[in-house]
Amino acid sequence: MEFTALFLAITVVMIVAWRGPRPLALTLFAIVLLACIATYLHHATDTLKLSF
Amino acid sequence: MTRAFATTLNALGLYAVAMVLATAFGAQLLLHELPCPLCLLQRIQFAVLAIGPIMNIRWGPRSSHYALSLLAAVAGAVFSSRQVLLHIMPGDAGYGTALFGYHYYTLALLAFIAAIVLLAVMLLFDRQFEQDGAAQLVAPGAFAMSAVWLVIGLTALNVVSTLLECGFAACADNPLVYELLKR
Repeated sequence: MEFTALFLAITVVMIVAWRGPRPLALTLFAIVLLACIATYLHHATDTLKLSF
Repeated sequence: MTRAFATTLNALGLYAVAMVLATAFGAQLLLHELPCPLCLLQRIQFAVLAIGPIMNIRWGPRSSHYALSLLAAVAGAVFSSRQVLLHIMPGDAGYGTALFGYHYYTLALLAFIAAIVLLAVMLLFDRQFEQDGAAQLVAPGAFAMSAVWLVIGLTALNVVSTLLECGFAACADNPLVYELLKR
């Protein structure tokens, strides 16, 4: 579900970047990037099975 | 490098991102391989990478727009490195089919590194940032506009695809069926 929301949010940011005001596009970009990093950190809890 | 040439290169960058997103879709539909959560996150970073070039085409090249893409590429490289490390143990078959001997996440890591290098190279050319009377912002041509709408369209298709795959719950670690198409 969170990935659907992220793709939707990016689509919105792209449309704002293309049609909307620049400061809004930059703000939305920052929010989406932080959301991506938060999603990654949420999922990055598996143990790494390193070979060394 | 003139502003017009830099804008054309940004449009080409958008076509490259579109090709990556389309190839991922192709593998998903033709090979019936559903993307895992980390794979989706890497696809998302390719889409985020496209926002900088879109702004460069709309507002003219600016270093801040390249910075957006650099941030997205670095995050994408971190995410794909994580997946490479998850499958680095000898004997691990990896996730999904290998393309040209490399799994998608390895190719994604190489693509994100290439993007970082290319963005740094673009930043070397200062003339594209000059805003004198002769270099006024011109409306983007059909080539650039097509690139923008192609990337937006592919990202919107990913909204539908991901919704079908994951449904309204968390995505499965190893997805085998589309949750919303299950009978």
